[in-house]
Amino acid sequence: MESAAVNNVAPIALEPAPQSNHYFLNMGPQHPSTHGVLRVLLEMDGEYVVEAQPVLGYGHRMQEKMGEHKNWMAFMPNTGRMDYAAALPYNHGFVALFERLCGIEVPERAEYIRVITSELNRIVSHHLWLGAFLLDLGAFTPILYTFDDREQVLDILEDVTGSRLTYCYFRVGGVCKDIDDKFVERTRAFIKRQRERFKVYNDLVTGNIIFLKRVEGIGHISPEMARRYGATGPVVRGSGIPYDIRKAEPYSIYDRFDFEIPTGSTGDSLDRYLVRLEEMEQSLRIIEQALDQLPDGPFLGKVPKKLKLPTGDACFSVEAARGALTYYLVSGGGEIPYRLKIRVPSYSNLSLLPELARGMLIADLVAAMGSLDLVIPEIDR
Amino acid sequence: MHPATEKLIHELKDLAIEAVACDYAQRGYHYEIEIEGKQIRSLAECLLKHEMYLVFVGGLHVKPACRVIYQFASFERPCRIVIRAVVDEECQIPTISDIFDGADWHERETRDFYGIVFSDHPYLKPLILAEEDVDLKPLLKKEADLKEMGEVSWAPASAAAPESEAPKPEAKKEKTEQG
Repeated sequence: MESAAVNNVAPIALEPAPQSNHYFLNMGPQHPSTHGVLRVLLEMDGEYVVEAQPVLGYGHRMQEKMGEHKNWMAFMPNTGRMDYAAALPYNHGFVALFERLCGIEVPERAEYIRVITSELNRIVSHHLWLGAFLLDLGAFTPILYTFDDREQVLDILEDVTGSRLTYCYFRVGGVCKDIDDKFVERTRAFIKRQRERFKVYNDLVTGNIIFLKRVEGIGHISPEMARRYGATGPVVRGSGIPYDIRKAEPYSIYDRFDFEIPTGSTGDSLDRYLVRLEEMEQSLRIIEQALDQLPDGPFLGKVPKKLKLPTGDACFSVEAARGALTYYLVSGGGEIPYRLKIRVPSYSNLSLLPELARGMLIADLVAAMGSLDLVIPEIDR
Repeated sequence: MHPATEKLIHELKDLAIEAVACDYAQRGYHYEIEIEGKQIRSLAECLLKHEMYLVFVGGLHVKPACRVIYQFASFERPCRIVIRAVVDEECQIPTISDIFDGADWHERETRDFYGIVFSDHPYLKPLILAEEDVDLKPLLKKEADLKEMGEVSWAPASAAAPESEAPKPEAKKEKTEQG
């Protein structure tokens, strides 16, 4: 059965490797380092991976079909259930798409709230990745530190959004609840605290020789390879391409903030690690500036109860925590989309795994996969 | 317009493919292209040469024939292109998975959801859906819900697309409907 699944792939010569010695190994669907129900079918030659084939669909819910049967409000909770680790950018792309199609103005204050909460969500998502990635590599302690920090933000976000994970906070025309002085105060306290924690991360992890030996030079992705597969987010930035939707096609009010796009130089797992760490700092910078500029005013604009879409198509791209997220909507009039395509970043980021894994040690594959920061419900949709 | 984009649009003209500029603020992309399915390979090769990356491949079920929607964008400059390619009578279209490796999974997914066959794809097996659901085609519309392409297009754009609408009266074949 397994041999039928991989028979399309040209055999790879690994010396000394008589074909008969190859065996098959299932990594997942319940392997801890696949983070969700992803199965990777491995053709192995001893400890070396000859061929790796991800098997998808265990968490498939047909979100795109649901999108064709629900109006925007009814679909909102779905947007938080694809990339559960960073749901607010998914909220953001979806409501902004409807605002673009219907020409709805969003109040200034709402845009600032969106940016602040989205960036907090990005940091939370990177916390989760950082802890889990190091856990994959066998380091147990860091996840306790990162989850401690994650809790601080989750408490802040819970106060305004009402939930700790699958957020459904944004609305067409704004957000559903205003932020108050307490939110601002707590967020500022978190920024101060998080800056000190980076030193802890660096002392504990970045300079650690065991960590460096596990990730340096492992899982090399060249810029050309990233382009062929359409990889985005920290994966493509780790390869040295400064591509970030927040700068490339500025949406919302991201053009008002001064922040940098961190990039790597070699495109290995270490570069992707460093890029994400630096991104957390850049997100803090954005939040800081947004809090300073936060205007008064309404947090939700006037939006008709029934939102009638014009005939035609439109797309909206946002920078989610894992890369470029694009909603593409085709409308035949009425309230409900005719077609809703959701382009998720992890899908393209994972599709390069077969090429990446060829000839790798299985322990290195765990490190390389961890550095891609996959969220499986997002891939399966 | 960015000079690299200008060069790309010019080269597409040589391939007899016209990219129509769109209002980014309204639609979120810069150019739209309507082509016959068989033109997609030369178009994809041109886009690869101009260092575009594949954003996604998806389907669209409309009368009289399904469209395959491709979106490309650039890492270097704001240039997002939406391509709508018409499938042939057998609901087939050439694969571009050997040009853009990332298209492999997107094409398999589109095959799962619409039953569109990407000819010469090396391994067109179900990816997202289970192997036994090969004929499910969950995103095909019911006959009552199915719309014409013109009913789901921007009004002014469809009126001003002369050469893309003209050469496809042969693609009239009715497709089997699935719930």
